[in-house]
Amino acid sequence: MSGFTMPSATLLAQSILSGVFVGALYGLLGLGLSLSWGLLRLINLAHFAFAFLAAYLCYQMAQMGVDPLLSLGLIVPLFFAIGAGLHWGMMKFQITPFNSLLVTFGLTGIVEALIQTIWTADFRKLESSYGEHNFKVAGLYVPLPELITLGLAVSLSFVVWAVLRYTDLGKALRASAEDSAVAAAFGINEKRNALLLAGTCSALASIAGVCLALGFTLAPSQIYAWIGVVFAAVMLGGLGRALAPLIAGIVIGVSEAVTMAVTAPSWAPLVSFTLLIAILLFRPGRAA
Amino acid sequence: MLEVHDLQVAYGQARALWGVSFELRGNELLCVVGPNGAGKTTLINTLAGMLRASAGRIVFEGRDITALPPHRFCEAGIAIVPEGRRLFASMSVRENLEIGSLLPGAKAQRAPSMDAVLALFPALQPKLGQAAGELSGGQQQMVAIGRALMARPRLLLLDEPSLGLSPLIVHEMFAAIRRINEQGTAVLLVEQNVAMALRVSQRAYVLEEGRMVADGTPDELMQRDEVRRAYLGV
Amino acid sequence: MAAAVGPREPSRWRIPLAIVALGAALAFVPALGLPAFYDSLLYLILHWIVLATSWNILSGYTGYFSFGHGAFFGAGIYTSATLMSRWDWPFLWTLPVAAAVACVLGVVVGAIVFRVKGIRGEVFALLTLAVTFVLGTIIVNTPIDGGNGVSLAAVAIPKFGPTPSSTFYLLALIAATATLLVAWAIAVSKLGAGLFAIHDDEDAAEVMGVPTYRYKLVALAISCSLAGVAGGIHALFLNYVTVGEVFTITVPLTVVLMSVLGGTRHWAGPAVGAVVITLLLYSFTAADYAVAGKAMIGVILIAAILFMPDGILPRLQRLWQRRRSDRPAPPLARAPLPTVPAHGSAAAVGGVLLQARGLAKSFRGVKALAGVDVEVRRGEILGLLGPNGSGKSTFINVVSGHFLPSGGSVVFEGKELAGRAAHRIASAGISRTYQIPRPFAHQTVLDNVALAAMFGGGINTPAAARREAMSWLVFAGLQDKALDRPDALNLHQRKFLELARALASRPRLVLLDEVLCGLTPSEIDDAVALVRRIRDQGSTVVFVEHVMRAVMALTDRVVVFDHGELLAEGLASEVMQRPEVMRAYLGQADVDSGHA
Repeated sequence: MSGFTMPSATLLAQSILSGVFVGALYGLLGLGLSLSWGLLRLINLAHFAFAFLAAYLCYQMAQMGVDPLLSLGLIVPLFFAIGAGLHWGMMKFQITPFNSLLVTFGLTGIVEALIQTIWTADFRKLESSYGEHNFKVAGLYVPLPELITLGLAVSLSFVVWAVLRYTDLGKALRASAEDSAVAAAFGINEKRNALLLAGTCSALASIAGVCLALGFTLAPSQIYAWIGVVFAAVMLGGLGRALAPLIAGIVIGVSEAVTMAVTAPSWAPLVSFTLLIAILLFRPGRAA
Repeated sequence: MLEVHDLQVAYGQARALWGVSFELRGNELLCVVGPNGAGKTTLINTLAGMLRASAGRIVFEGRDITALPPHRFCEAGIAIVPEGRRLFASMSVRENLEIGSLLPGAKAQRAPSMDAVLALFPALQPKLGQAAGELSGGQQQMVAIGRALMARPRLLLLDEPSLGLSPLIVHEMFAAIRRINEQGTAVLLVEQNVAMALRVSQRAYVLEEGRMVADGTPDELMQRDEVRRAYLGV
Repeated sequence: MAAAVGPREPSRWRIPLAIVALGAALAFVPALGLPAFYDSLLYLILHWIVLATSWNILSGYTGYFSFGHGAFFGAGIYTSATLMSRWDWPFLWTLPVAAAVACVLGVVVGAIVFRVKGIRGEVFALLTLAVTFVLGTIIVNTPIDGGNGVSLAAVAIPKFGPTPSSTFYLLALIAATATLLVAWAIAVSKLGAGLFAIHDDEDAAEVMGVPTYRYKLVALAISCSLAGVAGGIHALFLNYVTVGEVFTITVPLTVVLMSVLGGTRHWAGPAVGAVVITLLLYSFTAADYAVAGKAMIGVILIAAILFMPDGILPRLQRLWQRRRSDRPAPPLARAPLPTVPAHGSAAAVGGVLLQARGLAKSFRGVKALAGVDVEVRRGEILGLLGPNGSGKSTFINVVSGHFLPSGGSVVFEGKELAGRAAHRIASAGISRTYQIPRPFAHQTVLDNVALAAMFGGGINTPAAARREAMSWLVFAGLQDKALDRPDALNLHQRKFLELARALASRPRLVLLDEVLCGLTPSEIDDAVALVRRIRDQGSTVVFVEHVMRAVMALTDRVVVFDHGELLAEGLASEVMQRPEVMRAYLGQADVDSGHA
């Protein structure tokens, strides 16, 4: 049951590679969450529900003949608007950071029910032309959907990093997060920037959702399976950062994959959650 | 330039300012002195938009700015050097300075402004890439003043710039402030270090327990009993 | 000298008796011969009452929202299941063991987690959630479950009631009654008062004498034990136990929802929420709208947070109170005030009460206190002066235990206090006020002071503490505000509340931090008079102040700090004339021109 078996080198390499791929998705999912928590001080559990909703929308549009990557053109703006709208509501009701956890959990339940009503609880798999391509590089299999996910995750993380680091908007966001009163005294319009950022975070979630649809089988109950491990990635990397969730996600993904290859798949959750516990115990300040 | 009429500001449950009136004329360097708890920081923060007045008016360059949202005060031409510096500690010195010049008008002049700030405070040149939180108190104060100058304000507000600094640095600081004023920026300085403040300014007010109790030139004020009593109780 | 005795509070035993009576009455339901469906529904309602109420004991009362209740519940389930299926234990005997295992698990987690400063709020929630998944993963991968689940089909169900389902109902009824009694008992006890204080302001509570670490651990232990029992019962009810159903996010979130909806500050709030939600969910499932049920729960949770953040029960309570014409009367105060008892070698007036030597405190390299020697003599009023940033408040924070010193010693009445936990310093006889008042926002003025009497002053029952508190409110002139919330007081009254709170523990040394700031001149006069009375009735006073005329009027001696060091010491009128002091306050270059 829990014996240790040393896999062959190829198997191990393949495991590591698949760990990188799934880790990239953790990172992409974690990017929006980290920005929201670190810069807006809101913990958005509904982030995952939004990702899944986007995934299902993508699936639906694929059923109607729309290419998944093209569907991004509709999905991204839609979720930008949803995210900004949600944040506007939070600001209006002056929701505290802790209560944002509860409110967004309620929202998750609503979205999950919505998904289940429209698409039922059955597993749905998006069959696309992308899924049929499978490259072979140095003896290892590289599926196209996973490659797309990795590409999107890396490029988006870099774009966000560059914006935060080099643009005035990025500096304004970081300044507001650190000392909002003084930032306002220098002309930073915190409310407008917050809406922009919230919309972007949801847009990022929706892109992650499309990647989900490309590579995974969808079911409403699956929403919760990702929460724990993505939170672990976010906290491992530190809040409000752009590249860190990606790196942390890949670290976790690879650790899980290696664990699975060496022992049994059901041990995998132990890795991420133990890491999460360890980080929270030794550096709780990172999360504050 | 600046007229304040009967300003009242509440701070939580407490009333911090009980009807403060004064004016700053032309491009002068005006000082407000007073003991701790007098309301000096409340006054400055309200003038910068960080606090809201509960009654009274602030008229800047002929325009009533009392009810403006916080982020519009900078646009109006006012920049603040807050008490305790309040730099963005995790951001670099250069980024802190750039934050000062985010608004369109100031942004267009970012490069010459940066040069001017570095000319004023040459010690910052090698520190541009360092995180602001790692600098010494005096250097942080320079960055805070520089940040405000990057906004190209017509009125510069300084809240206790000498706080926690050694006397030598305080001397340099005030020399720089005087230079800034000579170059045409009006300055409103709030200080607990009465001696230095009065050396530098042309006129001063005394704030005590939320009210203006005296005003005049530095020489006039130093002779007054109010000042000694307010500070020393004798 | 007889203490005034108010009428015996008749309602004291009313509530527990009502709970037991209700439980006894409900025990007859199986005799009604209803279809099994009702037994199951009622069982579920009671089951959730136990889970939600037990969760609330830690999380609702202290504000440490745990998302890990599923872990302890699951530990209880698997303990019972394993004992029954593996070792053929009789069902009822597994229950105490399930409680014990869950309790130990909780205490282990708590002992580690509560030690780390900064684990509050969201971090605590996520940490406890992570524990749930870790435990679930371990169980599913080891022989305890092994991925196949545990079947209890072969286990005998004891015969309490006419049918098996009624047996479960009765067991859950007993558990629910016990849980509600425990929750009520804690809420009205000293433990509960401490937990609620932790909720409002943990640091202030600790400084006031509440042993926060110990109390949180006790609350957690009780909470987990009850969850363990519920788990044990539920194991047999389910008959077939799997990890996937138990170690998920469902249990903790449902429990949070029920408690938030019903009201987390009230012992009966979670029960109200449990009844409402269970009935709602059941009606949806029965009508085949299970999915809509989930959405409904989400909507209710959001609505609750937005519009009724305190919950249903408090809202109902307020409505009820508004209809009643008479307000409940505060307890009567003791007649004369006892003086503060003297202690040890410092008993003589003028003897050294507190001696600080070389006391130092640095924050990230900045020396707020650079090694000061200060002596406080019994019975005096000592003023602590100095310009902004000179280290006065830091001194008070270090002596009261709010900060740990970086070096030096503090000897109080012959005992070394530096480095000890804040609540121990409080019980040693030192108390303090905060410059910006920090009352416990959700408690009445009376209870705010009573807390200090209980924890710093060592009075053990809330009733006695309230009587003591009333005396201090009279002393401070706040007796008419006894049953109001602190936010109904103006600043002047809140400062006096701070003073009453500081005095209620009958300290030998009172540290006042800028009590007068923000007050009008006439209010300052009142405050000065009060400080004098404080000293006159036996406490020694050290106070930080800027208002010079108060300093002149009140102090016997002053010490002046500057840049973290001691600058001068002596009589106020004399010290303030010294050149170095004038220089520190007014700055260089005016020492000569400053003389009259």
